[in-house]
Amino acid sequence: MQIFVNTKFDFVKWRFHAVVFSLIWIVIGAVMFVKHGINWGIDFAGGANIVLRFKDKVPVDLLRGLLTDASIQQYGKAEDNAVLIRLPEQKKESDYAGNTVNRLNLALNPEAAGGKVDLNFRGRESVTDLLFQADPDHKGTGPDARKYYENVAQNIISKRSEVGLFRNMQQALSVNGVTTGIAGVLNGKTFLGSFNVLNQETVGPQVGRELQQKAIWAIVLSTLAMGAYLWIRFDIMFGAAAIVCIIHDVCMSLAFLGMINGEASLNIVAALLLIVGFSINDTVVMYDRVRENRRKIKTRMTFEEQLNLAMNQTLSRTILTSGSVVIVLIALILFGGKVIHEFAWILLIGVLAGTYSTITIVPAVAIFWNNVTGRAHDLSGPAVRARVEAPPPAAPPQRKRKVG
Amino acid sequence: MTRGIAWKIVLIVAVLIGFTVPIIPTKNTPEPIRRGLDLKGGTHLVMRVNVGDATRLEIDQAMEAIKTQSAKQSLPAPTVRRANDTAFLVVPPAGVSTAEYERVAKDYTPSFDLSHTAEGAVLFKMKPSAQAAIERDTIEHSVETIRNRVDALGVTEPLIAPESGNRIVIQLPGVDDPARVKDIIKTTAVLQFRLVEGEPSTDPKTIMQSVPPNMQNDVDVLPGNDEDALGRVTGVKYFAVRKSVPVTGTDLKNARVQKGRLGEPTVGFSLTPDGGRKFGDLTGANVKRRLAIVLDNKVVSAPVINSQINDQGVIEGSFTTQQAADLALVLRSGSLPASLTTLEERTVGPSLGRDSIHQGVLASLIGFIALILAVVLYYHGAGINAVLALLLNLVIILGMMAIFKATLTLPGIAGIILTLGMAVDSNVLVFERIREELREGKTVRASIENGFSRAFGTIIDTHMTTIISALFLFQFGTGPIKGFAVTLLIGLFASVFTAFFVSRVIFDLVYRPENRPTSISIG
Repeated sequence: MQIFVNTKFDFVKWRFHAVVFSLIWIVIGAVMFVKHGINWGIDFAGGANIVLRFKDKVPVDLLRGLLTDASIQQYGKAEDNAVLIRLPEQKKESDYAGNTVNRLNLALNPEAAGGKVDLNFRGRESVTDLLFQADPDHKGTGPDARKYYENVAQNIISKRSEVGLFRNMQQALSVNGVTTGIAGVLNGKTFLGSFNVLNQETVGPQVGRELQQKAIWAIVLSTLAMGAYLWIRFDIMFGAAAIVCIIHDVCMSLAFLGMINGEASLNIVAALLLIVGFSINDTVVMYDRVRENRRKIKTRMTFEEQLNLAMNQTLSRTILTSGSVVIVLIALILFGGKVIHEFAWILLIGVLAGTYSTITIVPAVAIFWNNVTGRAHDLSGPAVRARVEAPPPAAPPQRKRKVG
Repeated sequence: MTRGIAWKIVLIVAVLIGFTVPIIPTKNTPEPIRRGLDLKGGTHLVMRVNVGDATRLEIDQAMEAIKTQSAKQSLPAPTVRRANDTAFLVVPPAGVSTAEYERVAKDYTPSFDLSHTAEGAVLFKMKPSAQAAIERDTIEHSVETIRNRVDALGVTEPLIAPESGNRIVIQLPGVDDPARVKDIIKTTAVLQFRLVEGEPSTDPKTIMQSVPPNMQNDVDVLPGNDEDALGRVTGVKYFAVRKSVPVTGTDLKNARVQKGRLGEPTVGFSLTPDGGRKFGDLTGANVKRRLAIVLDNKVVSAPVINSQINDQGVIEGSFTTQQAADLALVLRSGSLPASLTTLEERTVGPSLGRDSIHQGVLASLIGFIALILAVVLYYHGAGINAVLALLLNLVIILGMMAIFKATLTLPGIAGIILTLGMAVDSNVLVFERIREELREGKTVRASIENGFSRAFGTIIDTHMTTIISALFLFQFGTGPIKGFAVTLLIGLFASVFTAFFVSRVIFDLVYRPENRPTSISIG
C-alpha cells in the first residue's frame, strides 16, 4: 500500500495560518490556566493523596466531617466503593498520609482500640504475631511454629490482595491452612475493618519544591541540549528552528493540560521530556532531506521550494511513523488504566503537535531566518552562484513557484 | 557473500538466545524481571536523618564533661550553656580565670575550637571536620539500624541507601502493612534505665515537692502511663527520674516477647556481660527503690526493685501483642542515633499494583498487535521483516532488563511500547528510501543498498535526540520515571541494532544478489 506518492502539497503557504492556529490554541490553554489556576499535583505542591477502598458504600459525609480541609472524590467506578482523598500542602514535614490514615482508622474502626487485629488493614506479620502468641494448633514457641503460622497468615493476606478486601469473615477463613483452632482465634481476635489502603502518597513541602525546580531545569536543559546537537549536526538556523519547534510542542501539550484542567504531576513532566526528544524527529528527518537535496540540485530553487520538496518527499514516512505511535498511544489511553491515562493523552497531543509543527512552524521559522539573513539558503543555480555574495533584494516572504 | 551472511545470522541467533535465556523464569529466579513498586505494591520512603540530634548529644556530653572535671579538680562550678546547635559557652564565676577551665577542658573536648567572647566567657565551637564525621557516622549508623529492622520484618529485597542532604531512601517491595513498617523504622528506640526520685504524680507541677531538695537539679520529669489496679491505662502520670543513665539499650544482648503472669504480653531482655555487671551494681545498691524503664523519653514502666538483678529482666507495660512484638524488635535492632522525619512517601497497595500490571500489559499488547497489523498492511513482505526486527527488539529490551536487574515500572511499559514505535520508525525510514530508489528506476539490489546507507544518518540523528531526552529523564526522574528512562535507553540502542543489522540481513537473505532479484515485496 502506498498512500503518499509524489505529492506536491504547498505546505509553506499555510505557515501563517498555522502560526495563528497555534497561538489561539496556546492562548486558550493559558486562559484556562489563569481561570482555574495551575492544578499542581502533590508532586510539586506538596500534600498527600490517599486512595481507600471501602467494604461497603463510601461514608462520604463522615469523611468530609473528619477531614475538613481535604477534597474527596470518587475513584474509579461507583461500584468499586473507592475514594480519592487529596490533602492540601502543609508547612511542616510529617508522615501526612500515614497519620491521616491512622486517624481514619481510629474513627471508622472502633474495634481496633480493643486490641483486635484488623484483617483488612494489617499485614502478614501482625497476623503471624497474633496466631503465634495464641498458638491454637499447639505448635510450641520454636521457629518452626512461627513458620507454620506465617504460612497461614501469608495465605490470608494474599487472598486479600486478590479480592481487594474481605467483605465477610468467611472469605478469610476459607483459605488454605486455616484450621478450626485458627478460625477460632481469627473469629475472636480479629475483625474486618471498613477500608483498605490502595495507594497513599505524601510529598513534603521541601521535596515538592525540589521536584518543581528539577522538572523545570530538566525541560529547559534538554531543549537547549537538543538545539545544540542539531546546531552541530546541521546549522545554527536549524538549531534555532528546532528550539522554537520544541517550545511550540511543549506549549501545545501544556495548553491541552490547561484545557482539561489536568494535574501537573511527575508523569506529565516525563511526558513533556519525551515530547522534547520525540517530536523533533520529524523535523530532523525533513531537514536532513533538505540538506541532501541541496547537494544534488543544480538548478535555481528558492528556500521555500526546497522546504516544500523535502516535506513532500518525507511525508509518507512522517504520517506512517506518527501514525504508528498514535496507534500505540490510543491503546494506552483506552486500556492503560487510570494511572497512565493523562500521561498518554499529553504524549498523544505532543506527538501530533510535533508532526504538525514540522510542516508548519519549522518552515515558518526557517523562512523567517532565511529572509533576515539575506536569503542565504536560496539555491541560485550553477551559473549565478558567484552572485550570492551580493546583497539580494528584499524579497517578499511568499515569493515561490510550484514545486515540479 | 554467503559466508559474510552466515556469520551475521550466527550473531543474530546468538543475540536472540543470549537475551531470551535471562527472561525465562527458573526456580532460582521465578521473577526474572524485577517489577517496580507501582506494579508490585510496596513503599518508597525518603527520610531525613535529623543529624542535629546527634551533634546536640555530643555537645551535651562535652558540657557534662567540663562540669564533672571542674568539680573533680575542685574548681568553682562554671555556668555552662548551649549557644546554638554546634557550640556552647563556659562562663567562669567572677574572679576565676578562664585559663583554668580551658586547661580542664583540653583533654575532654578535642573536637571543639576554643575562642573568647567579649564577656569573658569561652566559646566551644565544634570543628567542621568533627561535625562532618558525626553526620557521616549518624547516617551510616541509621542506615544499618533501619536495615536490621527491615530485615527482621522479613521484607524481601529492600533497598536502603543514603542520599545527599542527610537523607535515606528506603524501598520496601511487597509490604502489606506500611503503617506498621513505618512505625518500626521511625522509632528511635533509645532505652534507658534510670532511678526514680520522689513519688510519681499526675500533676507535673507538684511532683518536685516529693523530690529531696539536693536532687532537684539532677532530675528530669518524664511522662508515663497512669494505670488502674487491673493494668488498664487511665491517663498520664509524671515521674521524676535521675539525669544520670547507668544502663542503656546498648547493654542489651537480646529481647523477645514473653507472657506475663496473667498471660499478658511482656518483653523479656537479657544483658551483655558488661551490661549485666552495671545492672547488678545499680539494682543491688537500690533495692526497694523504683527503677524507671524509659523509652524515647517516655516512662514505659517503673517497677520497684525487689532484689539484685544481674543478667536479665522483663519490661511490663500495657502492651498489645503487636506493640510488645514491635518493642522487642526495635530493642534487638538497636536504637537510631537521631530521629527521622518523613519527607516523601509513596505506597501502592498490592491490589492496585495487580490492577495496574493487568491494564498495562493489556494496553501494550493491544497497541503492539495494532502496530504489527499496520506495518504488515502497509509494507507487505518487508513489513514482516520489520515485525521480526520488532520482536527481536522486544526480546533484547526484556533480556537487558533481566541481566542488569533494571526495574519494570508502569511508565516503563509505556516506554517499551514507545521504543517499539521508534524501531518501526527506523524501518519506515529505510523502506520509504528503498521505495523511492525503486521509483527512480534502480535495481532491487541497488535500492536496498542505497535505502540502508542513505537512511543511516537520519536514523542516528532521530535516535540521538531521543537518547538526549532520555538521559535528562534519567537524571531528573525518581522511581517509576527512572525505570521509564532506562527502558527507553535500552530500547533505543536495540532499535539501531535491529533496524540496521537484523533488517538488513533479512533483506540480503530474501533478495540474494546472486539471484538477481527483479521485484521486491514492499507494499
